[in-house]
Amino acid sequence: MRGIPATLAVCLAFGLALVPAAAKAADPVAVMADACSGCHGTDGHSIGGMPAFSGKKQDELTKALRDFKSGAKEATVMDRIAKGYSVEQLDAIAAYFASRKK
Amino acid sequence: MTNISRRTFNGLLGAAGVLSMAGTLSACSGGPKVVVIGGGFGGATAAKYLKRYDPSLDVTLIDADKSHFTCPFSNTVIAGMNDMAYIERKFDVLVNKHGVKVHTDMVVAIDGAAKVVKTKSGQSFPYDRLIVSPGIDFKWNAIEGYDEAASHIMPHAWKAGPQTVLLRKQLEAMPAGGLVVISAPGNPFRCPPGPYERASLIAGYLKKHKPKSKLMILDSKDAFAKDKLFKEGWEKLYDDIIEWVPAAKNGKVTKVNAKEGVVETDFEKFKPAVSNIIPPQTAGKIALDAGLADKSGFCPVDPNTFESTLVKGVHVIGDAAIAGEMPKSGYSASSQAKVAAAAIIAMIRGEKPGEMSAINTCYSLLAADYGISVAAVFAVQDGKIAGIKGSGGVSPMGANYQFRKKEADFAVGWYQSVSQDSWA
Repeated sequence: MRGIPATLAVCLAFGLALVPAAAKAADPVAVMADACSGCHGTDGHSIGGMPAFSGKKQDELTKALRDFKSGAKEATVMDRIAKGYSVEQLDAIAAYFASRKK
Repeated sequence: MTNISRRTFNGLLGAAGVLSMAGTLSACSGGPKVVVIGGGFGGATAAKYLKRYDPSLDVTLIDADKSHFTCPFSNTVIAGMNDMAYIERKFDVLVNKHGVKVHTDMVVAIDGAAKVVKTKSGQSFPYDRLIVSPGIDFKWNAIEGYDEAASHIMPHAWKAGPQTVLLRKQLEAMPAGGLVVISAPGNPFRCPPGPYERASLIAGYLKKHKPKSKLMILDSKDAFAKDKLFKEGWEKLYDDIIEWVPAAKNGKVTKVNAKEGVVETDFEKFKPAVSNIIPPQTAGKIALDAGLADKSGFCPVDPNTFESTLVKGVHVIGDAAIAGEMPKSGYSASSQAKVAAAAIIAMIRGEKPGEMSAINTCYSLLAADYGISVAAVFAVQDGKIAGIKGSGGVSPMGANYQFRKKEADFAVGWYQSVSQDSWA
């Protein structure tokens, strides 16, 4: 056998095709933002009493996170969590969840 | 078979159509192999997020049991607020939706040099990278007389499952006016606020169903997680039921005689109706056997990748890992799993792993309508995982009923979400 078996070739090609999307999903912003999903559900799809992000617009999320950090918005726990991030990080988290599938 | 040129390949794909394309894809398990040991919060999340971040990976999760009973909310089962089904997590969604292979088997050996995991049934699982998320095991006889046999009489209930049921049954069977003792271990241990949430919810059960009973927490420590908040709540809710005895007042349990039902500190002997002994802990046994733990009994890891500093190619997450300031909690394990998954993918691709960023959020219930929380955001600072300054902390003292009720409702929402994010 001289070449690459057909199945493997398809796999390799498909694997390569996946790299851009996969690399994006595992980038530092994704890892940082996915830490939120423990409370808010994968991709923000909360199934219980925690607020969901899915369906929210980026500017809504950005404002909420910034207001939690500044104390402008009342909270039980989000004030404590938002203070752990810079404004730039909060904006990146908001952009990430706004871009995830609804 | 001959070389396939780009043109033939394109033609092949074009002709193949959707159906055989899918068939070919499912045969694409030739990707790098990642094996995950343990199906708790850490392992399940790791398996799911490995596939999410890179679907071409061949991910196998091995757990000794067919499903996992979560420690979070097991205290509500002990107190009769929920049943066992409420805390049972199955692995079928990981298989059907996320493409994880799940094997029910006990891992008996890890060969870090050959990169192979061996199971009790005699199977071998080779890996490119391994994640070990085994949770905890117990230091039997660290409390004199408290060995595995004794735990069938005086349950620890610190791994959810049959032990949870046993403690529940003992509470149901005890007479009114009886004494319940909880022996709380020194640090570090799984779920630092757990013993005190348990005391609260059991006290709630006693108040309703076993009048005039008492609950003593015999503690090996002088301080504990969220202690001011717990004490504030106990004064309001369970003032005549709960007594906390710190180490400084001889609270440390040094000896038990399970058959005779006796629990001893250095100066006192008790004969409780129900004894819940939570012993000192180590990383899960497989981590010790594989040489992943240091003298502390837990596993030192690189703070950004969770790769063991003792065995290359093996990543340890969750309660078994020494993760700086992160507490040993289900949420921590799940958050660490995502960091480890991303790091593993980067390392497999020969890229530099990113910096870790993680959260811990934990709720404790003092009653169905009384919740408190602790939260923190973590990053690597001076080479160690530490909470970001100015962030995190616990619920405020002196909050009103509405605030505590809201946090109790969030506790339930938290549990539903973290379960979904880990297993579904």
